[in-house]
Amino acid sequence: MLERFFNWRFWPLVFKELNELRRNRRLIGMMLLPPTLNLVLLGFAMNPEVTDLRLGIVEESRSAESRELISAFAESKSFRPAAYYSSLAELTRALSGGELEAGLVVPSDFATKRARREVAEVQLLVDSVNSNTGSIAGGYAARVIGALNEKISLNKTSMGVESRVSLFYNAGLQNSWFIVTGMIGMLLVMLGSLVASASMVKEKEVGTVEQLLMTPAGSAEIILAKMAPIFLLLSVDILLSTVVGNFVFGVPVRGSFTLLFISGMLCVLSGIGIGTIIATFTRSQQQAQLMSFFVNPPLSMLSGATTPIEAMPQWMQPLTNLNPVKHFAILARGVMLKGVGLEVLYPNFLALVAFTIILVGVSAWRFRKQLN
Amino acid sequence: MKRIIAQTRKELTQFSRDRLTVVLALVLPVILMWLIGSSVSLTVSDLPVVVQDLDQTPMSRRYVETIRASLTFRIVPLPITAAPESALDKEEARAAIVIPSDFESDLKRGKSTEVQWLIDGTDANTANVMRNNAKMISNAFNQQNTVSAAPPIDVQMRFWFNPGHDSDQYIGPAVFAVGLALFPPLLVALAMSREGEQKTILQVYVASIHAHEYLLGKILAYMIVAIAEWVLTLVIAIPLFGIWFKGDPTVFLISSFLYLFCNVCFGAMAGASIPNQAAAIQAVQNVCFLLSFLLSGFVFPISNIPSWLRWVSGLVPARYFVEVSRDVFVRGGGWPATWHVPVVLAVLSLAFLFKGWMSLRKMQVDA
Repeated sequence: MLERFFNWRFWPLVFKELNELRRNRRLIGMMLLPPTLNLVLLGFAMNPEVTDLRLGIVEESRSAESRELISAFAESKSFRPAAYYSSLAELTRALSGGELEAGLVVPSDFATKRARREVAEVQLLVDSVNSNTGSIAGGYAARVIGALNEKISLNKTSMGVESRVSLFYNAGLQNSWFIVTGMIGMLLVMLGSLVASASMVKEKEVGTVEQLLMTPAGSAEIILAKMAPIFLLLSVDILLSTVVGNFVFGVPVRGSFTLLFISGMLCVLSGIGIGTIIATFTRSQQQAQLMSFFVNPPLSMLSGATTPIEAMPQWMQPLTNLNPVKHFAILARGVMLKGVGLEVLYPNFLALVAFTIILVGVSAWRFRKQLN
Repeated sequence: MKRIIAQTRKELTQFSRDRLTVVLALVLPVILMWLIGSSVSLTVSDLPVVVQDLDQTPMSRRYVETIRASLTFRIVPLPITAAPESALDKEEARAAIVIPSDFESDLKRGKSTEVQWLIDGTDANTANVMRNNAKMISNAFNQQNTVSAAPPIDVQMRFWFNPGHDSDQYIGPAVFAVGLALFPPLLVALAMSREGEQKTILQVYVASIHAHEYLLGKILAYMIVAIAEWVLTLVIAIPLFGIWFKGDPTVFLISSFLYLFCNVCFGAMAGASIPNQAAAIQAVQNVCFLLSFLLSGFVFPISNIPSWLRWVSGLVPARYFVEVSRDVFVRGGGWPATWHVPVVLAVLSLAFLFKGWMSLRKMQVDA
């Protein structure tokens, strides 16, 4: 039994592929270096955090009270007084030119109203061209004013409801943790499909598929042997990206690494399946590349890997369940950040297994059909 | 000049013969734009939350109503036996809210009480939005239901340019930039590197055409393709995102032309320096798509990029085009706000063109 396993003609085919890969140093580099670099680059660059908003100020009431208000804004890390303007028109012009993110207008009766214990109104203009930044800036401003109000009327705050917020899993609100855990699956699927389609199409382009067919190996063995080295190399990538994520951004692995690794391998297999399917539909590398522009952007954008799924249109949200990248993102976040295991993550794990079986099955079937 | 036009006609004939490429070239930018425009956004609404109401009094139910009324949250049911945190583990909810059992009695006695908000921090930005909303909901509840006096300072907030927080207004105008950043340079890079790969560049060498004429002919041909793509994308984007010119569109038109030119020049440069189609595609894809997507301030603000990386974004043409496109469709600042964009784009184009010309001459020598 064991002897039969070792004498299987599958192994020489794998060695042939491994040898080919070993000689193609550029491909090895392409599979190991860019994913790591991308992870670092994306982790740093994809940051929607809102801090240090430039605040323009029109201070019509030059008083101790207005200075108290402005310093309350300045002390919060969210705003930074950038410039003072003498009139609303000037402030508006600066806001239109994109020099400011927000403008504060303190009217001239501010101090007198405060002294008379009336409600003193101030105006805050927020540039909400970027709707996310705009609404977060509004929230910050409301918090700054709220805190100041409490400070002013200390005796009255003992009444009412207070929200006590505790942040789970990512208490420091590190955005890179979100991006890194999402990007790993995206890179695995995309690289898998890219490399698999390139290596399959090349065999077709050069015409060596016929030579392979003349060997006694069956078509299933040919496909398996072709997939094996890509699979091995990309599995190294899972380890590499976890290590890089941990060293550069401090992304923890709180759950079982084995589960993460196995899900990663499933992800790689689905990627290889996608690549092989693309390869069977195209005749040249150029066509394969253009085809992958049809497949890869939807896979990466409709995954919730880098932007929240809740921000997509309602009808589109269920479609994301058809995306292996989404399920891996949930698995990766579950294992790495939440520290939960299979008992919670089994729906996503099973979905990933199902996608892998379907994709690899369809690709093997298409490939075999084409060979015959 | 005659030779340039002859070269352009030859390119266009060659291009139009590959029907698949023609269709892909015109359809892909539109599909990509639609996809990015509808899926890439950070503006969340309807986040699922679970509420554990330990008080079950009219007052606590009114607090739950306040949560339900907010557009940000959507209450999903929580099984009675389950702990609220477990909903966060299972991704069933983004936040769990626990109302304490003495909620009403404390409020009636004039004491303050605390509602616990357990927030899933995995997605830092969404968590931040939820945290702000948690505070606002309690404030709104206090103002409606308790007898606290009016606050000493009242802030009137006005959201300018995009009062509805419609993220289409932000993403839409920028989507041209990304859609157009990829395909024109990709096509011209393929056309250039094919000549190097198949050594047909030698035929150009023996013909009586100069390197710069040859290069300009190719660029002109793909400029025509790029302009066709631009018109098509624009015509579809205006109704799709519901945008229209807010101010003087001349700066936008001039910048669009220069932006397309800049991208085509970049593609020509990449194709001339890399005489291998697969590698050229990789290079263009990485530079044009990834960098335009990440470093153009398209979704993620440029000011958040660490400074050692930020200078790279100064070399990304899409960054400038995003600026001008947002200005013309949302702010309407016109020439005074964006005069620098055409200038920078022209400088970048000339730099790419010069580098492409140098590489082309080298390619002819190498071949």
